[in-house]
Amino acid sequence: MHIMEGFLPVKHAIGWSIASAPFVVFGLHSINKRIKEKPEQRMLLGVAAAFTFVLSALKMPSVTGSCSHPTGTGLGAVLFGPAAMAPIGAVVLLFQAILLAHGGITTLGANIFSMAVVGPFAAAAIYRTAKTARLPFGLSIFLAASLGDLLTYVTTSAQLALAFPDPAGGFTASFVKFATVFALTQIPLAISEGFLTVIVLNALARFNPQELQEMNVVTAREVQG
Amino acid sequence: MLIEQSAYTNRWRRVSPAAKGTFSLCGMIAAYAAAAPTTACGVAAILCAVTVLGAGIPPVRYLRVAAPALLFLAVSVLSLAVSLKIGATAGDLSLHLARTELERVAHVCGRSLGGLAALLFLALTTPLSDIISLLRRCKLPDTLLDLMTLCYRTLFVLSETVHETITAQSARMGHATMTRSLRSLGGMIANLSVQVWQRSQALHLAALARNNDGALRFLEPDYPDSPRAISLAVISGLALIIMAVSLP
Repeated sequence: MHIMEGFLPVKHAIGWSIASAPFVVFGLHSINKRIKEKPEQRMLLGVAAAFTFVLSALKMPSVTGSCSHPTGTGLGAVLFGPAAMAPIGAVVLLFQAILLAHGGITTLGANIFSMAVVGPFAAAAIYRTAKTARLPFGLSIFLAASLGDLLTYVTTSAQLALAFPDPAGGFTASFVKFATVFALTQIPLAISEGFLTVIVLNALARFNPQELQEMNVVTAREVQG
Repeated sequence: MLIEQSAYTNRWRRVSPAAKGTFSLCGMIAAYAAAAPTTACGVAAILCAVTVLGAGIPPVRYLRVAAPALLFLAVSVLSLAVSLKIGATAGDLSLHLARTELERVAHVCGRSLGGLAALLFLALTTPLSDIISLLRRCKLPDTLLDLMTLCYRTLFVLSETVHETITAQSARMGHATMTRSLRSLGGMIANLSVQVWQRSQALHLAALARNNDGALRFLEPDYPDSPRAISLAVISGLALIIMAVSLP
């Protein structure tokens, strides 16, 4: 769910761009460090951006029977790390705006903040917490992907509510309004994406454990298990 | 991708990307600067006419490309037009049409249409590779530009793989039910994830074989008459902004 071009007032558009800029800069800094240590990471992260873009264009069956598109924030955060996802997400969102007319240039900052900052960081934090609590691998991935997705949509609703507070009920009423409207599509999407991410990582753990281990997604002991 | 097809086949394909970028930027500024919703809609109509009549984009294709954004606009505008009153007790909620909000809704609607028309002007007339070159001239960090270049050059390869895999899966009833579809999709994404590793390794080796030791650079095409096109874009863009600001 991307905020369309020109929808946000100018102050909000600039404010969200300023808010997401440090994350993109920090992400670029961390990517540069990774490239210095392992030069092959330059290609990996570039292809990962294309992968995320293609993933977001896939039609995914939703639990309500309709079709939706996965966001890929949970999977990306677990595979490539949340810091790298900010610049990758920025590139993907720019490409979606230019190639698919989803989102926009003036709303790029707000969309980066919800989809490439909040979503991946939340997903990575939930995955680490679940791992620390020794929850099963599948459940940890499901929670990370679906809650990461849900938090993305909650952030977008909050961004819209901040820009357009309700004349009677203020921010809260506006947030409830936007969250309710978008919940119809976003909650089934989050659940479906949670299941999908579990299937993806289970298949990877079964057939390509070495690659998962190299990306620090699982430990050698978990691979043996 | 419809937008990409138009970007490579439109009448203004050989016009300088800097000129098209400048005009699109002016269009966005004009949409934001418009004082009245009707003026913003006028800006949107002018930009739309320039794209369809000037660059030769078929109107049906233009509408198909704009449809998802217009759907978002319709849902959001409906949410804005309806006001929610939260009562003192739990569950005491009431919805009513906020007449005072209609002016603001019209303003947001006009601005969004203007912004969308400006974005579509750039997207439908300029291939992404040209936009990346333009961003390189705007001194964006090399790492970000490398990500963009690699993403653009591999996304069509990955898209092709996705289409072929879905065709093969469908032929084996892999998408017959929702559960099967989810399972097939999961298998395909897992396979694609491994391909990401393998393809990136192959690309790295290919780059090393060509003595690459830093940023990825490609030859950029020359655009004759660039200064003339840029001047024209600046003049017409400024005229659009002045019109948006001066009209009531």
